[in-house]
This record gives sequence, structure tokens and C-alpha cells, in this order.
Amino acid sequence: MKTLVVGLGNPILGDDGVGWQIAHELQQIKQLPSDVTIECLAIGGISLMEALINYDRAIIIDAIVTHQAPIGSIHHYKLEDLPNPSSGHMSSAHDTSLLTALHVGQSLGAHLPKDISVVTVESQKVIEFSELLTPAVAAAVPVATRIILDLLIESNPEKAPKADNMKN
Amino acid sequence: MQRISIDPITRLEGHGKIEIFLDDEGNFANSYFQIPELRGFERFCVGRQVEEVPILTNRICGVCPEAHHMAGAKAVDAVYHVDPPRTAKMLRELLYSAFYCTDHTTHFYALAGPDFVMGPTAPVAERNILGVIHKVGLEIGGQVLQMRKYGHSVVEMIGGRKVHPCTSIPGGLTKGITEEQRQEIEKMGRWAIEFAQFTLKLFNDVVLGNKEYVDLILGDIYTHHTYYIGTVDENNKVNFYDGKVSVVDPEGKRLGKYAANEYTDWIAEHVEPWTYLKFPYLKKVGWKGFVDGKDSGVYMATPLSRLNAADGMATPLAQAEYEKFYSTLGGKPVHQRLAIHWARLIELLYAAERWIELATDPEITSDNYRTIPTATPTEGVGIVEAPRGTLTHHYTTDERGITTKVNLIVGTTNNYAPIQMSTKKAAQSLIKKGGVISEGLLNMVEMAFRAYDPCFGCATHSLPGQMPLEIVIRDANGKTVDILKQYC
Repeated sequence: MKTLVVGLGNPILGDDGVGWQIAHELQQIKQLPSDVTIECLAIGGISLMEALINYDRAIIIDAIVTHQAPIGSIHHYKLEDLPNPSSGHMSSAHDTSLLTALHVGQSLGAHLPKDISVVTVESQKVIEFSELLTPAVAAAVPVATRIILDLLIESNPEKAPKADNMKN
Repeated sequence: MQRISIDPITRLEGHGKIEIFLDDEGNFANSYFQIPELRGFERFCVGRQVEEVPILTNRICGVCPEAHHMAGAKAVDAVYHVDPPRTAKMLRELLYSAFYCTDHTTHFYALAGPDFVMGPTAPVAERNILGVIHKVGLEIGGQVLQMRKYGHSVVEMIGGRKVHPCTSIPGGLTKGITEEQRQEIEKMGRWAIEFAQFTLKLFNDVVLGNKEYVDLILGDIYTHHTYYIGTVDENNKVNFYDGKVSVVDPEGKRLGKYAANEYTDWIAEHVEPWTYLKFPYLKKVGWKGFVDGKDSGVYMATPLSRLNAADGMATPLAQAEYEKFYSTLGGKPVHQRLAIHWARLIELLYAAERWIELATDPEITSDNYRTIPTATPTEGVGIVEAPRGTLTHHYTTDERGITTKVNLIVGTTNNYAPIQMSTKKAAQSLIKKGGVISEGLLNMVEMAFRAYDPCFGCATHSLPGQMPLEIVIRDANGKTVDILKQYC
């Protein structure tokens, strides 16, 4: 299954860069399935939808600020099950939300992933320019990396330890 | 006093918020367009090798990184006192023209389109690009994506990466293009001209052909008489990449033109206690408050401003549309803010034509795409026209080229004062005592600033995502009496 993993966010905006850091960790793993592509992107809406064209499955990693979970908490959703589908960077207010963009793409016959997962890390500092993550968010990077690795090889669960859906 | 809060604004990059205050009788009292302070970018850039800054600045915001990269590249050229070869300038402008086609297309179909094709009072669920393409035809949706794809392809060919270009260096570019690439770029550009013409026809049929929309555009609630600025070439024609910034008064008379390194003689910034973002104004006229007129230093920098500040367009098809624009709207300058949408499409056509002019220049494939800098770096200013307004980057370095000061005046910041005025006027005109404050009505208030294509993501130096809209209406005691939500 042709899979795209997207680290989403701004790499110089503090915790907002956590998606990129997790994607970089994944890029270091040698035993990734050959049909997996990992990218770091700072886009949303239509541009993000365009990046997903011709993939069967996508996993989007993003920072999120809900103020309802401890900093560094990792959540895993299906895109359609996100509590607020226009949260985080999956929308670009300059064009439209990812969900609307996906509907546009589907209407036009584009081959888009049927399965889109979103892995979020509850973040703290996302409005101050910095290349550093806060410690609790940095601590979530290896855990989230493992969760995504599990998602990538879930058809072969014996190859990696199972991770929980949510970890603090 | 009652309070209506539009927080944050839909389809707008960033975390803007409109507070509308009503008096005890339910009449409009005042409104404030507030932007949270997310500064720190200039500080983040200090202490770095200056040639790294154009790469960093294109990470300020996901909407127009190409504009930041270009303004940054020109500022770095100035810091190193180096003039890039003609081929390098043309390649940068070619990239920039393709970017403009992508950006203006997206704005029209995703942001302006929902208001004008679906209508300002259409249900929220339909007032988006999906609604637009279902109404005007799926094949048009395909063309929108095709236009974006072509734009991204040119940016990648010249800029090295899609969306976030990285090939501009002091004195030029890291690479040129091959003849094979040039042919591909030309082919895409010719398609872009046809697409731009089609989009103008669509605007003509759907918007100008509808009396209700024409009345809305020409109506007083979206009109302000201010100064206008925009970059022009040596013939005073609109240019996005290079030239001098022309300033015209509300009667269309040119006050003057300034070069990038003269911007501090022309632009100053006013501070208000209720917002952290500053309000730039024309220094030579002075700050007189949020008021229209020749004595007020408030200016606007948008596609409409660029047309008002220039003597015409440098390409033939766009020039014909420019003439039609002013003859239809009753002469120059045009002050109606919703006409910015039309001006944007004329610029789309100009960008596509310029794309072809540059792609067919015999020197575009030359290997002479860089002048090696030899002077000691000091200080420099770079200006380009971002799609949403004049963009100024100002860098100062030590003798090693390490930045000691970075100052940016981004496109949207220029328009902060006029947006505040437009929002206030729209709210004042539309919200009346005893009237029902509906989502449609509040969307018409939003339309007042959406025309400016604002991107407060970079105005406040942050990369936010879309936020839901929540409008809170409070009574005279601050008690919530109603909440309207969309995308929540």
C-alpha cells in the first residue's frame, strides 16, 4: 500500500516543529516498508490535498494545542474522527480545510488516500520562533515515532511491539 | 454597551478577531480588528549569516514563502552591494510570476469565489471552493488544480523546491534552466494565459453580470478614499519584482516614488493601545487617525492599489483589461474595496503574460546567472510586491555578514489601518438597531477585509492553521445573549 507520512508544521516555530522532528526520526529507520514515503511539509488545505494525490494511505503528524491534555500527550485519530477537523495545520485559512480540499479532489477524480490517520502531539509553545521543542514535547518524539512505525507495519504486527493509542 | 465578537475569522490566515461594540440601544458604537502579538521573528534572524535569512523568512508563513524569499534575496544582494546578472533577475521574476498565478487563482476560487459565486448569504456549508466548483462546473475545478500544479512546477524548476524556494543567493541564483525546461515553462505559461482570460470572463459573467453584486461592489459601505502604493517599472507600469514604489493620493495624483533604500523616508508606523500590530502610514502626510482623505496618511497596498498607483499594465491583454476596469468603474482611482477582487484577476493575466515574456527571452537559458559578490556586507533593503501588498525586508550585518538587525514590513501590515476602517464601516452600515445579526450579515462584515487577502500569519510572524469562527453577542452588561458558530 503506497503510504505517505507527512510531518506537518513550521520547523522554526518551537513545538510547532514536532511533526518535522518525528518525520526526521522515521527517516532514520532502515526497516521501513519500501512503499512508504516520508515528507516534511509546511502547507495546508488544497496544497496538502495535492501532496496526498496518488497515495493509498496517509499519516499526518502535527502539533496541536487543545489545553485539554497534558503537554506531550500523543493522540491518534482517523481524519474523519478528529474532534475538530479544521484544527491544527490541516487547514489553510488562505484556501480551505483539508476535508473540503479532499472532497474537491475526489469530485475531480483524483486518486486520494482512503485511509488518513492523524497523529497529534499536545504542544505548548507554538507562537514563539525557536528551533527547540519544550522538554515534554521533545520526550514525545521517540514515543510517537514508535506509534507511527507500528501503524506502518500494522499488517505485520509481530515485527514491532504494539503501542497504545495514547501515551503521556 | 453590547459586544459582538468575531473570533477568529474564517478563511483568513491567522488569529484575527473583530470586536463590535453596540450601544445600549443596539446601534453600532465602534469596532476593533485585533491581531495577537506573535513577534520574535526579527530577533530569531539576528546573529545568523545573512544569506540564510531568505531561507528562514520563507518559513514565516505557509501562504507566500516565495514573496519572502524574493524580498530577502534582493535585500541580501543589497547587503553585499552586488547587482545580479539580467538572467538571474529574469529567472527570479519568472518564478515569481508563476507563483502569482497560483496565489491569485487560489484566492479567487477559494476565498472570493464563495462570496460572489455562492453569494454572501449562502449557507456556510456551501460557501467554500467545493460549492463554487459544483456550481460553475467540475472541469473548472480541474483547471484550478492544473493552474496550481503548473505554478508549483515552475517554482520547483527555478527555486529548487515546491512552495519554499531556496536557490536565490547573493548576486543571483545557484542554477539556471535548460532549453528543455524553458520549453516546458513556456508551454505551461501559454496555458496560464488562457486560464487567466477564462477566469476574467467568469468574473465578468458571474459577478459583473449580476446587478446585485455590482451594486455591492460600487456601494458606499465598501468604499474608502485613501492613498495607494505599488511598485512600478521605469515606464510606471505595474511590476511585482522590481522598480520603485509609486505613491498616489486619493485623487490619483502621484506624490512620488521611492526606491527600496528610501522606505524609511516614506513609511512610519503608528501604535494603538488596543493592538500589538503597528499601523504603517505615509510619513510625508502624517497620521491623522483612521480617516479617509488627502490629509490622512493612511494608504492601501493591494492589487487595486498597484493598479491605482501605476499608469498601466506592461503587457497587452492585461492593459486592455485595465482600461475596461477603469472605464466600467468610472475612472481612476477606484476606491471601492471589493474591486480588489477584479484587480487581482487583471494581475493574474499580467502575471501569465509576463511569464511568457520572460520564458521566451533569448537570455533566459544563459549560464550567466550569478555575479560573485566582492564587497564587504553592510546593510540592504529589498522590496517586492507580495500578492497581498508591498513587502519590505531590511537587513543590517557586521563586516562578516552576520545579521545585527532585521526589520520586515509585510504585505498585510500595510493594510492594517484600511482593514480596520473597512471593517468598521461595514459593521456600521450593516448592523442597525433592531436588526437581526445573522451569520450572513457578519459574513458581509468579513467580506470587508477578505477583499484585502490578508494573511496575518506573517503579519504577526507565525504559522497558524485555520481556526473556527465564533461570534459572541453580549448585552450591555457583558452577558452572552447569543453565540453563532461555524467550523466549530
